[in-house]
Amino acid sequence: MSMYQSSWTKVMMRYHRFAGSWAWILHRISGLALTAYIFMHIIALSNLQKWKSDKGVAFDEEMALFSRPFFLVIEWLLFAFVLYHTLNGIRIVLVDFANGARYHKQLHYAVLAIGVVAFLVMGYVIFSHQVNKTVAMLF
Amino acid sequence: MSYKNLGSKNSGAPGWLFQRITGIVLIVAMVGHYILMHYTPTSGHSFASTFERMQNPLWKVFYLSFVVVGIYHGLNGVWGVVRDFKIKKWLSITILGFILIAGISFAVFGFMNVLSF
Repeated sequence: MSMYQSSWTKVMMRYHRFAGSWAWILHRISGLALTAYIFMHIIALSNLQKWKSDKGVAFDEEMALFSRPFFLVIEWLLFAFVLYHTLNGIRIVLVDFANGARYHKQLHYAVLAIGVVAFLVMGYVIFSHQVNKTVAMLF
Repeated sequence: MSYKNLGSKNSGAPGWLFQRITGIVLIVAMVGHYILMHYTPTSGHSFASTFERMQNPLWKVFYLSFVVVGIYHGLNGVWGVVRDFKIKKWLSITILGFILIAGISFAVFGFMNVLSF
């Protein structure tokens, strides 16, 4: 039993060392999370339906809540999921349709490199807005 | 096995192809969505700008198809994950039922958000 388990662990660890299997696992995790998110997103936007009685006040209050720093950080993390799923999705399409199986590992590292840069750029876009707002509030 | 027991004549190829097509559509739509929503702190998601956009039928069509394509891509992906596990037939049918009910009800809810304008 213990022999079996240790060899099973060994096989799993070896399996996970390949770039392709990491890409696959991350794609599934981010995909499941984004599916949960789109349901949440649709529910969150249901405040729009009240506009005839409240002229969109409930919606604007909700959006003000989501613009607070805590939610900006959450939004940035959400972008990491969207970004990885998008870039790896492009990789999958290239593997399936453009002979990408021959260079899928290089594509995986390109996905990670482009992803890190785009993540940092998005962080600048999201938080520079917050910095500008704070500065505008102070002066 | 869950997959083999359900529509065994179906190779799964249409779902595979649609997943790629809807994925590519979503990439284009999401880039636009992100630019619109994050260009300035309130761009796109203040009530005023939302209301203004919703006066244009083309934006309504865009959001209705965004809802359908997004939910289809997400739930087709979930079903793809489920199909990778060897589970009992009744369980796979139950999960597929939940997926279909969730997809249809959230699509209807999303449509209600858009069509309230």
